[in-house]
Amino acid sequence: MKQISKKSALLIGGFLALAGNGTFAAAAQPMSGEQIIQQQCTACHTKTGDASKPYSRISQQRKTPEGWQMTLHRMVSIHQAKISDAERKQVLKYLADTQGLAPAETAGLRYGLERDGNLVENNDPAYAEMCARCHSGARFGLQRRTRAEWDLLVQFHMGQIPTLELHSLARDRPWFELAMNEVAPKLAEDFPFETAAWKAWQAADKPTFAHAWTIAGYIPGKGDFDAVMQVRDQGDDRYALEIAGHYADGRPLSGSGQAITYTGYEWRAALTLDGMKLRQILAANEQGTQMTGRLFMAGANELGAEMVAQRAAKGDHAVTRVMPSHIRQGTRQEITLVGAGLQGTPELGEGVRVIKTLSAGTNRMRLLVEADKQAAVGLRDIRVGQIQVPAMLAVFDQVARVEVVPGESIARVGGNGMPVAKVKSAYRAVGYASGADGKPGTADDIRLGHMPATWTLKAFDETAEQDNDLKYAGTIDANGIFTPGDAGPNPERKMSTNNVGNLSVVGSVDDGGGQVSGEAHLLVTVQRFVRSSVQ
Amino acid sequence: MNTKKSTTRAWLALAGLGLVLSGCHSSVKQAASTASHEYLLTVTRPNQLQVIDTETNRISRSCDIPGYFGSGSIATSPNGRIAYVLSNKWEDIYGFDITDCKMVFSAKQSTEKVTVKTFFSLTLSPDGKELYTIQNPVGKLPDRYQVMQPQLAVFDTSAGFDVQPSRRWPVDRRITKIATLASGEVVLGGADLKAIDPQNGKVRVISKLQNWERGPRWLTPDAFAVSSQGEHVGEYIMPYVTAEFKDDSMNFETADWWWGMSRVDLSTGEVEQLETVPFQFIVFSWVTDPHDANIIYGAFNTLSKHDIKEKKTLAVTDMDHTYYTINMTSDGGTLYVGGTSSDISVHDPATLEKKGSIQLPGDMSTADMRLARLQE
Repeated sequence: MKQISKKSALLIGGFLALAGNGTFAAAAQPMSGEQIIQQQCTACHTKTGDASKPYSRISQQRKTPEGWQMTLHRMVSIHQAKISDAERKQVLKYLADTQGLAPAETAGLRYGLERDGNLVENNDPAYAEMCARCHSGARFGLQRRTRAEWDLLVQFHMGQIPTLELHSLARDRPWFELAMNEVAPKLAEDFPFETAAWKAWQAADKPTFAHAWTIAGYIPGKGDFDAVMQVRDQGDDRYALEIAGHYADGRPLSGSGQAITYTGYEWRAALTLDGMKLRQILAANEQGTQMTGRLFMAGANELGAEMVAQRAAKGDHAVTRVMPSHIRQGTRQEITLVGAGLQGTPELGEGVRVIKTLSAGTNRMRLLVEADKQAAVGLRDIRVGQIQVPAMLAVFDQVARVEVVPGESIARVGGNGMPVAKVKSAYRAVGYASGADGKPGTADDIRLGHMPATWTLKAFDETAEQDNDLKYAGTIDANGIFTPGDAGPNPERKMSTNNVGNLSVVGSVDDGGGQVSGEAHLLVTVQRFVRSSVQ
Repeated sequence: MNTKKSTTRAWLALAGLGLVLSGCHSSVKQAASTASHEYLLTVTRPNQLQVIDTETNRISRSCDIPGYFGSGSIATSPNGRIAYVLSNKWEDIYGFDITDCKMVFSAKQSTEKVTVKTFFSLTLSPDGKELYTIQNPVGKLPDRYQVMQPQLAVFDTSAGFDVQPSRRWPVDRRITKIATLASGEVVLGGADLKAIDPQNGKVRVISKLQNWERGPRWLTPDAFAVSSQGEHVGEYIMPYVTAEFKDDSMNFETADWWWGMSRVDLSTGEVEQLETVPFQFIVFSWVTDPHDANIIYGAFNTLSKHDIKEKKTLAVTDMDHTYYTINMTSDGGTLYVGGTSSDISVHDPATLEKKGSIQLPGDMSTADMRLARLQE
């Protein structure tokens, strides 16, 4: 168990300051993040004389690794900070570790880190028109600052974006005065620099990561998968990864990668799976037994899905996934259980029988399963040895409705010789059975989980139909991946407009011969020219 | 400014000032019809002032402007000879003789420690001796920014190059386009329309917008203007959008949405504020017909013609693409629709029919498209 201690880091820094920075810089050892700050950042940032907050602007803020990454990027690209890429990584690590956010402080806003852009937020009205008209709620909600720092953030905005007060929702009100006098004080109250959660996390034992982990997720275009991820410690919170597993259809999957952890729980990995370059942005729970987050394409962050990693160390017992998570009454099918410490014959609940264990590993079990014709429609708990997981397998009679997820989504035109690539969007169909009331779309519907579907597009409304959006805005493939049209004015279109569009994505599930369809809304819009790690 | 008489008077007042400066002794009426030539001025990327002859609709000359493009706002001297251009990302001002592209004036507003931006706010005193800008300064301290008080800056146009302001007066935040009244006061287009006396900094409200007192049934107007025009009739228009609610529940869905404007007669200083036409489509800038102050034209994705007395849209035509700005010859014979891209669309005000197109060597983006009536 490791502890991140700002105090000890400062003590080391203090010692080095006494020893003389010049002497140290000449030595063979690379400088620490703290030393780099002392040497390279104090050209502009003043020393406050306050040991608990030693540098102006820097020491009065806490941010996520991505938050600090953006700050450091800005310092180099706009403010002429003279630090190398290696030094930047050192400073990022140091600041994320010593001035990060506690796990509880990122809860509910992790989508901002996970680069999932298809989420409709419901921001506090106090922030909706001031901050969230440009940013996601996660952008500011994942920062902690002193009151003075929130004030300076307003000043920063005016310096960086001088026309800010002329925007719609700004020019009809005293924007600057509202920002300084009402919003900055509220931010300081809602997202304060000093919190009990951060104090407790600084003092807490931190998770360890050099274990075997069972991972399960979904790769758009490839499908569901599960694998064992072996994590080897390389020192300084860096890890080497080896991954071997299977897609849901049995095809093998393998790869390797590198990971780093920040703040004791923020896991960031770059990996290559079957030749695909992927990223993991995960958070470990405080016990260090599970990591959750998102796995996505390195070159197309929008293509990804939620992912879970279950620690599979000695004594760990868990079922994290059941694939598929549904079985129809009176049918026989294969089911895969994924988890850790799987031992013994699984029990899948009333009316569901294990006919045969096809393979039995401690992290993965393949079963041939049959549901009785009379088995009641509903969710079943799963038991494997001492593990019991509630409501993991659904028995259903028929697919009563299909939900296409994400329900609201954005894709962006791109390419065509322009510097910004297309932003695609990917969809999945989630099936539901009617509950006891026999009516779909009510509170007692039973979620069956993801189901294979066929995909089509249609115009969302009359305007989209008139503008022939369906012809220009893009296409969807058999895997539910939408590829938008080329960027730039299109002379064929009314007013030579871009290949934008307002579409419905229709996912149809075959339910024993009949088709059950659901729809999602897709806006195909223009490029995002300014991209950030946290939008 | 409801009659033809008043708009004509406004124009004659401005034309007369130019003639006095140019030393011409012929009557104003004669000058207006014979001794001047109207040019359309705009700025295109990468950064050139384009001087376009309104008789031929061809580019007469292109003047290179120092610095990076932006915003391309233009103010012209009363004699129509000098065009002052906002350049270098909304910071510097350069003055050019439009007859030969000779640079006659320059001012850099920013310093090493203070970035000064001007949001389209550029105008000249009635005698052309002073140039006014609204400066929005932000201090650049080593580790922080410091927002400073906006101010009206007064420049002596005869001072040549690297001119520093001779006077500065504090003004409100959020001021965009400005214009000068015949009295010498400068109209400030901010939250409310105000006028400032550049001699003493005294400010008075001339048309309330954000602080209008219409009660809860009216939405606070969203007033905004990027481009300047109106020199063909001597007017300043600050357009706005508002909503009239059916009841105190402020239901946006059932409200009546309106375009409106605060229109200033620059010769008399008279201001009228009125809702013009129902909000049916976006209009970015407006001009008044010189023959009838009740007729206005607007442009964005459409070019439209409206009778504001009857609150009726008389004609609408779809444009080939989005255009930010509009202007009109002072005889009311031609409408120019420009901005955004690299062409100016030429239209007949009577029918809105497209008569031609002026192809430019680069995009106009946010640039103004202004008339210069050159005294010959």
